[in-house]
Amino acid sequence: MPDFNVLLAGIPAELTRLVLALIGLMAFIGLNGLALVWVERKVAGHVQRRPGPFEVGPFGLIQPIVDAVKLVGKQLATPAGADKFLFWLAPLLAFLPIFLLFIPIPFSENLVGLNTNLGLLLILAFAGLNVLALCLAGWGQNNKWGLLGAGRAVAQSVAYEIPLLLAVLAVSFQTGSLDLAAITAKQGPWPWQWNILVQPLAFFLYFICAVAETNRAPFDLPEAESELTAGFHTEYSGMGFGLFFLAEYANMIVVCSVATVLFLGGWQGPIEPGWWWFLIKMYALLLVIIWFRWTYPRVRFDQLLNLNWKWLLPLSMVNLLATAFVVKLFA
Amino acid sequence: MSNCAATELTGDTYTRRFEQGPNQDTLIVNMGPQHPSTHGVLRVIVELDGEYILRAEPVLGYVHRMHEKMGEVKSFTQYLPNMGRVDYLHAMAWNWAYVGAVEKLGGVEVPERAEYLRVIATELNRISSHLVWWGAYLLDLGAFTPIMYAFDDREIILDLLQIVTGSRLTYCYFRFGGVTADVTPAFVSGLKEFLQRFKSRLPMYKDLVTDNIILRKRCEEIGVIDVDMARRYGATGPVLRGSGVAYDTRRAEPYGVYDRFDYQIPTFTEGDAMARYLVRIREMEESVKIIEQALEQLPEGEHLNAKAPKPAWKPGVGEAYFAVEGARGKIGVYVVCDGTKNPYRVKLRSPSYCNLSLFAELAQGVILADAVSIMGSLDLVIPEIDR
Amino acid sequence: MSAIFDDFPVTGRQVPGDFAKTGQTLSIFLEAKDIVAAAGYLKDKEYFIEDVTGLDLAEGFAVLYHFAHFDKPGRVTLRVLASRENPSVPSISGVYQGAQWHERETRDFYGIAFPGNPNDGPLLLAEEDMAPPLLKDDAKRAVLQKVWPYAAMGVNPVPAAKPAPAAKPATPASPAPEVTK
Repeated sequence: MPDFNVLLAGIPAELTRLVLALIGLMAFIGLNGLALVWVERKVAGHVQRRPGPFEVGPFGLIQPIVDAVKLVGKQLATPAGADKFLFWLAPLLAFLPIFLLFIPIPFSENLVGLNTNLGLLLILAFAGLNVLALCLAGWGQNNKWGLLGAGRAVAQSVAYEIPLLLAVLAVSFQTGSLDLAAITAKQGPWPWQWNILVQPLAFFLYFICAVAETNRAPFDLPEAESELTAGFHTEYSGMGFGLFFLAEYANMIVVCSVATVLFLGGWQGPIEPGWWWFLIKMYALLLVIIWFRWTYPRVRFDQLLNLNWKWLLPLSMVNLLATAFVVKLFA
Repeated sequence: MSNCAATELTGDTYTRRFEQGPNQDTLIVNMGPQHPSTHGVLRVIVELDGEYILRAEPVLGYVHRMHEKMGEVKSFTQYLPNMGRVDYLHAMAWNWAYVGAVEKLGGVEVPERAEYLRVIATELNRISSHLVWWGAYLLDLGAFTPIMYAFDDREIILDLLQIVTGSRLTYCYFRFGGVTADVTPAFVSGLKEFLQRFKSRLPMYKDLVTDNIILRKRCEEIGVIDVDMARRYGATGPVLRGSGVAYDTRRAEPYGVYDRFDYQIPTFTEGDAMARYLVRIREMEESVKIIEQALEQLPEGEHLNAKAPKPAWKPGVGEAYFAVEGARGKIGVYVVCDGTKNPYRVKLRSPSYCNLSLFAELAQGVILADAVSIMGSLDLVIPEIDR
Repeated sequence: MSAIFDDFPVTGRQVPGDFAKTGQTLSIFLEAKDIVAAAGYLKDKEYFIEDVTGLDLAEGFAVLYHFAHFDKPGRVTLRVLASRENPSVPSISGVYQGAQWHERETRDFYGIAFPGNPNDGPLLLAEEDMAPPLLKDDAKRAVLQKVWPYAAMGVNPVPAAKPAPAAKPATPASPAPEVTK
């Protein structure tokens, strides 16, 4: 591995590392986005007893690329009466912060964008920008359905952030650090050494909140097709929609990566630890999220909020207190 | 987005007629006519306070084709294909309602075998209609998969009925005095196979869908209709049977050979969307029973009365009202005849029309997501409402 | 169900029918002004409304109300005759809310007014003014007794505007027609 601690032609090493990481992440997210589109459609197809895409390319593998080309080639139409600036800012705001979220995540011992001891804080902070994007999208498109969808999205995201935070905090309490590399290092290669066995409730809560934060079924009310005709992205077509679409998949990847790091041992694994274990665990969680979407109906909005405020929040607080108690007692 | 100014300048007469309530913070939205879950071209103007519906008003007429006028300019036989287009999901029942009314008027006899064939075709159509309702209802609630399984089963029914009638959806199988064609051995064996397969699928649907907690939370205690409301609006069919009234036209105004079969009328008393859901699921099971018995009892004979009227037939003078039990409720056809070759008046009484009319009163104070669930549980087919 | 209602609140001819032939057990011929009371009576007796429809006859517009019962067999039809020049029948949507849509549809198709119906907009037809589609040409209209073969029973329905030659001489202006018991 080249030594990045050396100044490269006068540019600080950290900056070079960041830039390279960003480029790598762009490629990673882009490719994963395409791959996830394909995986989702194939899984949906097979769950629904049909083949999914199979015409374009072998097993329909070129389908996402063709879809991307179509989306890019569409006219960028702004609805009449829409707030142009906010309308086009929203998808950018949804998509661009994703890169920031990936930077502190350790794909392997040395494959990390930014080695920081506040990685978790960084992720949680920038994840909140998604809410702003949804808000702007709903307001800027001058469509009542979009507004309803945005209202739902904001309420949902704000609500589910709290148990998510508390669940994650329990893990970092237990580890004693907000540094993702440290959390990974503290776990071992074998499944019984992962945090999921020590903090099963936290994993459960985190996963549910993660599905809700990424607006995936059964919590996909903001974009409830059958009720709100596409909710907060009703008026978007072409690349505007494409960015929201990609952002949703990228958010899913972030959330699964964080879960892998926090609960499933990150890049550690039996026989040969490395980035491949990280990816395997991450994709396994992604498959579960995709599976949920095609199995469950949608939860009604007030039931969704009830679930959060009456069940997840108290449970996560209890979990946190129990963790703190145990840590203080046996530390 | 000030509402009172907007509705003066934009919107059509229906939006302008639907006045803003006293609270200026409410949102007036159109659900439809293009909307994924209004089951066709239905428009509902809704006044929303946040997520709660203060007032809802369905606006009809987007698929209005004036079938009743067509009844007056076409001859009796020419009008038969129209019946398949009124409610394309249970076309057999509409066929039967019209044919039954005219047969009453003209005093035409139907051979016994034809009566059994009518029952088999109508009950098979009822199953396929309920399957579409089931899949579409779950699609509205956000479950994307059950509709695929439902259509898988329905495809077999469509193939079977195509063997006999030649059509997949808008059947014109009935004639005055019987049915168009007899069943073939391929049909009978295919039907028996299908019934076996279908009976083995229903437990899976129950375990995966009906017992799902999310679905139950979306359907239980939603849209409770009491018997008085059903009476005031004329609601019939599963909407009524979900409210505890065991009223089925097959028992109340017996027609055909339904009295020879042993079947139950599923009734649930809660009156909510879940009750209506369960009524339809059980109705599918009862239809399976009826078809099995009909196949067993199927007598030899002709499928069409040898003295069946010719196409240019005049049934005589008078009036007749004939009702059948469709998948959605009580279908009524009222025919008035004055001795000319066209009917004088054909009135189509459609069950979805009466079932939908109670939506305005039912949806007050309801959350938008529940309104979608209620509309789905009413099982509406808009072409039947608009005719 | 007994053949006729003994305690019917308003005057009207009650004519039992042959259910097997016409699908109607009982027809009650009423004046337009009595329809709301009749509907209220049927509501108390727990009948449900099936539909409201119109019919363009030589004598005027006939408005038919079909009612059935959840427990009792048979169908009750209320028949009202409205004049051609200014057809108007009070709305029963205060009693049976479901009638609101049926009456609006009949208004669309025939131009009959239903004062008291809360919604005066068209239901199925478009907003633009158009001639009511189900009106018949003068030559093609049927005479009432032809389509309702009650003449053979020796009972005349509610008096026609133009008395038919063989009918009893009853006019719309005459006081309450006799009630059959």
